[in-house]
Amino acid sequence: MRAAIAAAMTRSKREIPHYYLTETIDLGSALAWLESGNATKSPQDRLLPAALLLKASALALRKTPRLNGLFLDGEFKPGEGIHIGWVVSLRGGGLIAPAIRDADRKSLSEIMGALRDVVERARKGSLRSSELGSATITVTSLGDRGAETVAAIIRPPQVAIIGFGRIVTRPWVVDGRIEARSVVAATLAGDHRVTDGHAGGLLLSNIRDLLQEPDKL
Amino acid sequence: MTQNEIKALLFELIGEIAPEADPSSLSDNEDMRSALDRDSMDFNNLIIAIHERTGRNIPEADYNKLFTLKGAIAYLAAPSGEIKL
Repeated sequence: MRAAIAAAMTRSKREIPHYYLTETIDLGSALAWLESGNATKSPQDRLLPAALLLKASALALRKTPRLNGLFLDGEFKPGEGIHIGWVVSLRGGGLIAPAIRDADRKSLSEIMGALRDVVERARKGSLRSSELGSATITVTSLGDRGAETVAAIIRPPQVAIIGFGRIVTRPWVVDGRIEARSVVAATLAGDHRVTDGHAGGLLLSNIRDLLQEPDKL
Repeated sequence: MTQNEIKALLFELIGEIAPEADPSSLSDNEDMRSALDRDSMDFNNLIIAIHERTGRNIPEADYNKLFTLKGAIAYLAAPSGEIKL
């Protein structure tokens, strides 16, 4: 496992000219919406913030298709669908990123169900190989015990990866006043052979805007 | 359920969610999430499993009362005014 990760990451760092962009996103309305929705749901139907981050990323990718796809034989091939590799950390160490297919077309509860399913099967070692090779982009979310930001390494032949840090409470300026807000840092690593910071910045600002209107996700 | 029965149930459910974790290593006031290296998804699964096994619907606002073993046992031993879903 460690050797496989090392080989893929070495190839990535050798071949892919990465650029990195970070946007800090206010999650105040998203978390309030989640909390009020969860209050009336039984535990198995509740949503975690990860489902919102994943869905917002998938929807935003529709507008920047050159960040979703594969770089093969010297050229970019757009993804047929938005299939998001979701990074799951394994107990004994190591990572695995099964694809959540057509994530932009799934409802939030379908995304939540898919997340639970792949995390459980990743840890049991019962993922299918088709699930591991079909992602068109990767998203990693460090969860509630991770670091504040993550600048991730692109998984070749993909051309982008989005990393969400831990959700933290920080001073935030709203209408000229400072408030305590829950925020998350979203960091995009893109492949300069295919896109530049303009497309990357658009993706992050679209993710940010989508997360301000969680009821539309 | 008695406190011992609740503790046994919690150990069993944690064991199903994370077979390699060793809940018997937990001290009463330790945060189970860090002690057993669990994330929010695992904790969510524990809440779901408790609901399935006991019918107890724990509201999200109460999750922080269940982060330690001692807290979880006390919470589950107390009578619930919740309607079973």
